[in-house]
Amino acid sequence: MSGPAAVAPVVAPGETAQSLTERICAVTLREGARPWTPLWWWAALAVSLGLLGMGVIAVGWLFYAGLGIWGIDWPVVWGLDILNYVWWIAIASGGTFISALFFLLGVEWRTALNRLAESLTLCAALCAAIFPILHLGRPWFFYWLFPYPNTMGLWAQFRSPLVWDFFAILTYVLASILFWYFGLLPDLATLRDRAQGQGRRVFYGVLALGFRGSGRQWRHYRAVYAVMAALMAPLVVSVHSIVGMDFAGSAATGWHSTQFPPFFVFGAALSGFAVVLLAILPLRSLLGLHAYVTERHIDVLGRLFLTSSLCVGYAYVMDAFATFYGPDEADRTMFLMRVFGLYAPVYWGTIVLNIVFPQLLWWRSVRLTQPLVWLIGLGVLVGMWLERFQIIVTSLARTQLPSTWGQYTPTLWEWSLLFGTIGLFLTAFLLIVRLMPVVAMAEMRAMLRGPA
Amino acid sequence: MIVAAFATEAAMREAAAEIRRGDPGGVETYMAMEPDEAQGGAEGGSILPAVMLGGGVAGGLGGFLMQAYATTISYPQNIGGRPDLSWPAYIPTTFELAVLGAVVAGMAGFLVLAGMPRLYDPVDEAEGMRAAMLGGYVLVARPTDAARARQVLSRHAAIGIEDVAE
Repeated sequence: MSGPAAVAPVVAPGETAQSLTERICAVTLREGARPWTPLWWWAALAVSLGLLGMGVIAVGWLFYAGLGIWGIDWPVVWGLDILNYVWWIAIASGGTFISALFFLLGVEWRTALNRLAESLTLCAALCAAIFPILHLGRPWFFYWLFPYPNTMGLWAQFRSPLVWDFFAILTYVLASILFWYFGLLPDLATLRDRAQGQGRRVFYGVLALGFRGSGRQWRHYRAVYAVMAALMAPLVVSVHSIVGMDFAGSAATGWHSTQFPPFFVFGAALSGFAVVLLAILPLRSLLGLHAYVTERHIDVLGRLFLTSSLCVGYAYVMDAFATFYGPDEADRTMFLMRVFGLYAPVYWGTIVLNIVFPQLLWWRSVRLTQPLVWLIGLGVLVGMWLERFQIIVTSLARTQLPSTWGQYTPTLWEWSLLFGTIGLFLTAFLLIVRLMPVVAMAEMRAMLRGPA
Repeated sequence: MIVAAFATEAAMREAAAEIRRGDPGGVETYMAMEPDEAQGGAEGGSILPAVMLGGGVAGGLGGFLMQAYATTISYPQNIGGRPDLSWPAYIPTTFELAVLGAVVAGMAGFLVLAGMPRLYDPVDEAEGMRAAMLGGYVLVARPTDAARARQVLSRHAAIGIEDVAE
């Protein structure tokens, strides 16, 4: 990842374990700062809560009136509910890639980013996890997905990718929470010992569970953290492969393809890195993290972003190639409709936002022009949403049987649910940014110590 | 017990090693980051990776057997002509439950072996412990020969030495 010339340092010169602890604790505790919570945070929270309120109303009305309030119908039986689920779970992947995969690879730039990236994972996975429940016609029976001995003598259909997906999401959400919390323990202990007020000491003290940094605790901590990271890395790949198989397992046009699992992993990496950049770039200034999130991080993230965009581009090319190389006339009809038909703007929007614009990141000067990178990242998030729209909607709208062709228009309730989850994501993330240490201090200290 | 603070990890480690040498009483070190292996900080391994392996095997095996039981004994049903024991289809769920088992076993095992949650510990009474998670190096000794331990501590340039009631 490091070029021969002009590699920016991964930590600003002159930073020590002491200055790091003080700065990062000050970001969270803000002892003596006025106002105690910055105004930008309140403003962002107000917007997030507004969006979240919209989502709460949408869910309330959905539970009251049922799925009929959505635009889904035969033949497009999957709409924004599945789309948003796939979109969010892909966004969640970025934190796990950075935190687990690059931990195993031992790269030093990962350390300053992993806490924020993992927090993004958590919030996005939370948003994803609610859609499978909401899209059930009778959401109060969601626990039927759990395999348990019941009076009906029934089991979940273990041969279905949709049931695999249930286990994948369950494991991914629980493991992400545990991995995030486990990594937080030493930093919560630092905040406990640093905090002035009684209330804060109790708050962080209870959360730290009595971590004191003893030799025994560290010995086991390191071992568990490393194994957890080694498990999280294949886990995130399995989750997105299974999401891909949700589609590939069906005989619908355009879905029944063996390339879907890797295709979805590539897409997940792209949107994951995009959301990390979208969050890191403003927070770096707002929280004063310039010393720890340096140009090196922005540059590396830009390169990863470009790499995953190229992977996704490869998948798009193979998707088109396989369609026309393959024997299925219905696939070709659907694909031509995707490219030239009613939903063509969605297809071309996907291509431009996910593939064309990210090519600008070949230039280092572009990678370091933060507003531009931010806009490309935002474009990719929109582009990934459009990609899921074209995969889900155009395939279902052009089935093998022309008499069942149709189309799909999302209703206001589906849109408000999408924006509601954006509100949920932002609210949860803002709370984490405000209350939890935003940089993994203990790991940074060990990194600053350097090779002995 | 005796609580002593040090300026460097190396000094703390040397003092801990020396006290341990002649004394069966306990010595524990406290610091705010992972001990440095190069300074002999990685004393002893951890059994937890093995515990996590056990949790993973239990989760995976349990998951596989649950699926096999459900589809062959409890509720066999012909779906698409597949055999009742269509084991390739069980692999994803087996893998996910194996990971879940390992992660939960790791977390639970850590809490047990690290003695957590433990919101109060007598060492908290020491002034020096306040700095342990803020970047300090703190040694806590429960020696049988307190006078010798004190000598060793001052020889290794301990910054502050406190006596704390157990």
